[in-house]
Amino acid sequence: MSYLSPAGHTLLDRRRFLSSSSTALGSIALTNMLGLDGLLAADRPIIDPARPYAPRQPHFPGKAKNVVVIFCAGAVSQLETWDYKPELIKWDDKPLPGGPAVTFQGPAGNLARPQYAFRQRGQTGKWVSDMIPHLAELTDDFAFVHSLTSKSNTHGPAENFLSTGFNLDGFPSLGAWTTYALGSENQDLPSYVAIPDPRGVPQNGANNWGPGFLPAAFQGTTMSSKAPVRHLAAPGVSPATDQAARTLLQRMNARHLEAHPGDGKLAARIASYELAARMQLSVPEISDLSTEPAHILKLYGADDTQNPDKAAFAKNCILARRLIEKGVRFVQLFNGAYASGGKLNWDGHNALKDQYDVHAPILDQPAAALIRDLKSRGLLDDTLVVWCTEFGRMPFFQKGAKGRDHNPDGFTCWMTGAGVKPGVSCGETDELGQKAVKDIHPLYDFNATILHLLGLDHERLTFEHNGVQRRLTNVEGHVIKQMLA
Amino acid sequence: MKLVALILLTSSAIAAPVDFVRDVRPILQQHCYNCHGEKKQKSGLRLDIKASALKGGDKHSPDIISGKASDSPLIHFLTTDDEDELMPPKGKLSPENIATLTTWINEGAPWPDGVDLAKLEDRLDHWSFKPLSSNGGILPPVRNQGAPSTNPIDFFIDAKLTEKKLHRSPPADPTSLIRRITFDLTGLPPTPEETTAFEKEFIQDRASSIQHLVDRLLKSERYGERWAQHWLDVVRYADTHGFEVNTERPNAWPYRDYVIRAFNNDTPYDRFIKEQIVGDAMGQDAATGFLVTASVLLPGQIGKDDASKRLARQDSIDEMVMNLGQTFLGLSIGCARCHDHKFDPITAKDYYAMQAFVAGVEYADRDLHTPAAEASRAEEKQFKARLAEIDKELAQFVPMAKSGAERPMINARENSDRFTPVKTQRLRFTIKTTTNLEPCIDELEVFNTRGENVALATTGTKRKSSGDIGVAERHELRFLTDGRYGNSRSWLSNKLGQGWVELEFTQEQQVERVVWSRDRDGKFTDRLATDYQIEISDTAGHWHTVADASDRQKFDPKNKKTAKPTLSGLTADEANRAKPLIQEKAATESKIAQASNAQKAFAGTFRTPDDIHLLNRGDPEQPKEPVTPAVLSALGHVTLPKESPEQERRHVLADWIASPQNTLTARVMVNRIWQGHFGTGLVQTPSDFGRMGIKPTHPKLLDYLATEFIRSGWSVKHMHRLILLSQTYAQSSQTHDLPPPSATGSEIVNHKSKIINEGPLLDSDVRLLWRFPSRRLEAESIRDTILAVSGRLNLKMYGRGYNLFDQRGGLSGFDPIETFNAENQRRMIYAHKVRREPETVFGAFDCPDAGQSTARRIESTTPIQALNLFNSRFTLEQSEAFATRVQQEAGTDPAKQITLAYQLSLSRPPTATELADTTPLVHDHGLTALCRALFNSNEFLFVP
Repeated sequence: MSYLSPAGHTLLDRRRFLSSSSTALGSIALTNMLGLDGLLAADRPIIDPARPYAPRQPHFPGKAKNVVVIFCAGAVSQLETWDYKPELIKWDDKPLPGGPAVTFQGPAGNLARPQYAFRQRGQTGKWVSDMIPHLAELTDDFAFVHSLTSKSNTHGPAENFLSTGFNLDGFPSLGAWTTYALGSENQDLPSYVAIPDPRGVPQNGANNWGPGFLPAAFQGTTMSSKAPVRHLAAPGVSPATDQAARTLLQRMNARHLEAHPGDGKLAARIASYELAARMQLSVPEISDLSTEPAHILKLYGADDTQNPDKAAFAKNCILARRLIEKGVRFVQLFNGAYASGGKLNWDGHNALKDQYDVHAPILDQPAAALIRDLKSRGLLDDTLVVWCTEFGRMPFFQKGAKGRDHNPDGFTCWMTGAGVKPGVSCGETDELGQKAVKDIHPLYDFNATILHLLGLDHERLTFEHNGVQRRLTNVEGHVIKQMLA
Repeated sequence: MKLVALILLTSSAIAAPVDFVRDVRPILQQHCYNCHGEKKQKSGLRLDIKASALKGGDKHSPDIISGKASDSPLIHFLTTDDEDELMPPKGKLSPENIATLTTWINEGAPWPDGVDLAKLEDRLDHWSFKPLSSNGGILPPVRNQGAPSTNPIDFFIDAKLTEKKLHRSPPADPTSLIRRITFDLTGLPPTPEETTAFEKEFIQDRASSIQHLVDRLLKSERYGERWAQHWLDVVRYADTHGFEVNTERPNAWPYRDYVIRAFNNDTPYDRFIKEQIVGDAMGQDAATGFLVTASVLLPGQIGKDDASKRLARQDSIDEMVMNLGQTFLGLSIGCARCHDHKFDPITAKDYYAMQAFVAGVEYADRDLHTPAAEASRAEEKQFKARLAEIDKELAQFVPMAKSGAERPMINARENSDRFTPVKTQRLRFTIKTTTNLEPCIDELEVFNTRGENVALATTGTKRKSSGDIGVAERHELRFLTDGRYGNSRSWLSNKLGQGWVELEFTQEQQVERVVWSRDRDGKFTDRLATDYQIEISDTAGHWHTVADASDRQKFDPKNKKTAKPTLSGLTADEANRAKPLIQEKAATESKIAQASNAQKAFAGTFRTPDDIHLLNRGDPEQPKEPVTPAVLSALGHVTLPKESPEQERRHVLADWIASPQNTLTARVMVNRIWQGHFGTGLVQTPSDFGRMGIKPTHPKLLDYLATEFIRSGWSVKHMHRLILLSQTYAQSSQTHDLPPPSATGSEIVNHKSKIINEGPLLDSDVRLLWRFPSRRLEAESIRDTILAVSGRLNLKMYGRGYNLFDQRGGLSGFDPIETFNAENQRRMIYAHKVRREPETVFGAFDCPDAGQSTARRIESTTPIQALNLFNSRFTLEQSEAFATRVQQEAGTDPAKQITLAYQLSLSRPPTATELADTTPLVHDHGLTALCRALFNSNEFLFVP
């Protein structure tokens, strides 16, 4: 820590801090610092303003330390991927007896068979589609839940619901809750990174990584292989001038702090400039993929010159691994961009097969490679990988189209890695894949399970906002125990 | 089966009736109370109190069905084989215990009155539901360090401090004080001149100098801009609709302007409330923007299925009820949407009865009826009429077909083909390609050299075509020349991508221009002819092409701009006549945009209210009994019959809220005002005065302020004066527990104190106000202050918001605008606020995202803030502007420059040490480097 100023140094060294009550910093509000080591006494984390990203203890020892969420925007069809429905082949092009006349986008058409061939995979023999051959090879490692339900059949509210547990705007995201609870293992990088798809941001944009009413410190920082973190350097300022301004600022602030002893907020701002200075070095380093060997680029498909979107998403996946390697707590990797008639994301209303033929290769090899790479480096032992999407799709086509409408009543997500029981499939939809019928799990349960794997009790991780002890899971949620190793 | 066996077993085992106290309660006590007793009521179920137990929990109520054990959920959970459902979760009860409970229920679940060991708390026994306490009239003399205070605030604060063996800090120095008060009231720093003048007056007469300062600032229009922001935070104001599409809400800003004006005018707070709820009846149309500030799904985003529509409507009414409850009453009424409130006396029925007050409000623009709006409307009409004339004249000047000049791209709205006048009786329009599907034309006009449309059916012109798709009263061949525009009066060919129409005039005409369109109303762009030709027939019957698409700009569906008139392809004479028309057209169009902007406000529309039902667990698919408007039953008795008209409902609600008898309204507002000055309210949870909220640190002070607020006629400015003129407010912010640590440090401390104060240990959060709690400026204040100091701040008030991003709403990534001009150097409250999208530099400074209400801004500190403020183009450009300003005003002497830079940014000259420290930097790296450091310094960013 020798690169810190005396003030910053004092702040970041807790033992010295606590014993330094006779110094200028001595009377920084002690209540800020008590419980620094986490959730021991209280359920709610106590945040040291000078070190918002300091690692904090979970409620109980969790199997997972870090999380990668692969978020497929636009609602991936469960019927073309993980939820095999042979009955649907028999019923192809027949009307669904007693089915809804009108769904989200309009009149319902006839039932439609899965648009890809399915085959059995690995030891478990689970049927998975040929649409995603690379991920399919990893089937044995995944814990699936086929019986998820959402509260909304509209992308915006439903992405809110998946990311924040509420379908209204303005609630904290899963990543914000996680870093609020646990801080991060790496103080030189943002604790929570959101990596948008190379084709654009997802449907509900920043709400998916927003802090809601939690402190801004816990919002996701966006960066990708294409676009680095903003404001890492001052454009047009020479290094010497930049350094001179920085040094002067340090002296100004140190003098001001001496004149205002005991103000923790002032000290915290000094520390934040020192953290920022380190971020200026570490962020470009982490985004620089030139050090990755050729075989890694190949594994992910980052060298695919024929498919630039796939290569760009592959680079995002490599970036995700590098962030996890460095101890970043929460990485959210988006696959699929904004509403575009299904052209840029998984919203296959009109020509599902044609569009999924484009989207699947962008997701498949890079995401599978990420999991393999994490595993081969031993990172999967304490990293949880989550694959999710906001809802599923209907077993019938829309009238006059070759695509499926929104279906919030039964869809599939999966997890793998730390603490996850490999090879299990929880819950079921009916034989046509329209509605969850066995072990129905509202998305609350999925989020509760993620928190559980991190050592957090979703009922105890709370934040007081306008009179309500808010939680990620509102007043609902049960851990899906079947998914746990 | 198992249950039946048990029942048989029990009836033989127990002969005497089960006694609740002797047999049943001990089982519940031992196995259930832990989760369903006084401390916890999981799933809303409480089993230690008769009334609660028989009512049941949230999900399965009633859990005990008298006489029917086999139907009672309670028994189900005790006996189920499903591990996830079994109660108690730690393991099944013994068969004997289950038998006892089963028998008891079958015997009618007799539960004697008066035997319960616990008592249901009286949820009304809560301070904020009780009337304001009178303060006793006579205030004891105020004990403090300096001159005696006559301000009651000091009395209440000192009383509490004395109780805790603490005392107030010495008065703040004048420099800190003018900075503090100016930031507090206006969100901007004082100018050096204002500071000097104040310091001078302060020395002569401290009390009156502060009074003059406060009076001056309360008169400034900057005050309304600052305090409106606090209000907009609470009501989550934004200029987009939110959710995925997040489209622009172009007429939201009149509400923002209304709030600024209301604060500047010191609109009495009770009137301010009423205007926001029922301003349509009070000549304040924009004020009801309050009702519809939330995110909302637009009709196109809502599912076509009825369940989606019902859920969307419920969500949008819910936002209104939450807003009313949080903002005015400090109650989280929204909690009762799914079940009775867990802590406050608000039932689910109360919640839906509140919905019924606003069940006729729709999220939509409403025409403003202010004189200004009416004038704009009249103006717009005039401008539009003039524009139509100009367009008509300009149509003569489109480039001639086949003249060699490139003609504008085809568009769906209107295309004009001009050619050398030619005599003919027949004209044919042939379509060769379309954007998609069969071609559609809503109107075909043919003008002769006298400017008459000779195609019009009324002139007797005959039509024929290659074939039609007829849809009665929508697509018919006769609509081609009926003089009426739009898709629903159009002709549709029956051939994919092709078709022709032919006109025969009653006599030979000298024709020179054809005008045609897909949809002159601008709604449809499909089925557009992209390749076509126009031919005329000579007397011998031979066809000659007079115009076609070959010399038009290549069609590009992505190019949505309508072609601007140009001078290319015109003769010199034509160009001379067209030029002024083109200029006038542009000017008229911008006038129309301006005029149309000022006529509407996104302030809701009002219609016959929906029937409101109590919804089981908040689910619109599970309606229960109908509910009529009523205020919260625990707090009032105002109810309305079902047939009450829409506006009357809101009237009644507003009157109930804005009443001196309402125990919450005044308390909640004075607490918000207090928070605006001290950073934290007397009640630390400003939008929760319910039982889960934090109790006031100074309940009597809060009640005194609320009483005074009502007494003053609900004057917000009166409250500012009262607070700002107290000695509590004017005390130093320093922690006086230590001697000054060093000579360098002490130089910039104007007030030193050797008094040892225990405050830091006993009250580190400064809730008791033993010193003034300093705080960081809010995001908007930082931006505004940087601009004020750099000399670039544009004080233009009101109107449509300026852009922070390259788009005003929409789906995809928002790119920040990083070139700065007068318009975007206005105060940040006038920025077009995109919901959820944090401003690139200042968003990180805890700027609310307008998703949910922000009653109090969290003050967090992050490295991203540091990166933004140190490296952004905004800071760098303003640092340069600041340096330029200083050079212009201070001349070339570096010492004078540094001095002025300090005075402008920190309201004080540099110390000798600071001057010595900064001079070499300015010499080596320029004044800009110093300005950049000043903008980032803690002293600059904190209210002292």
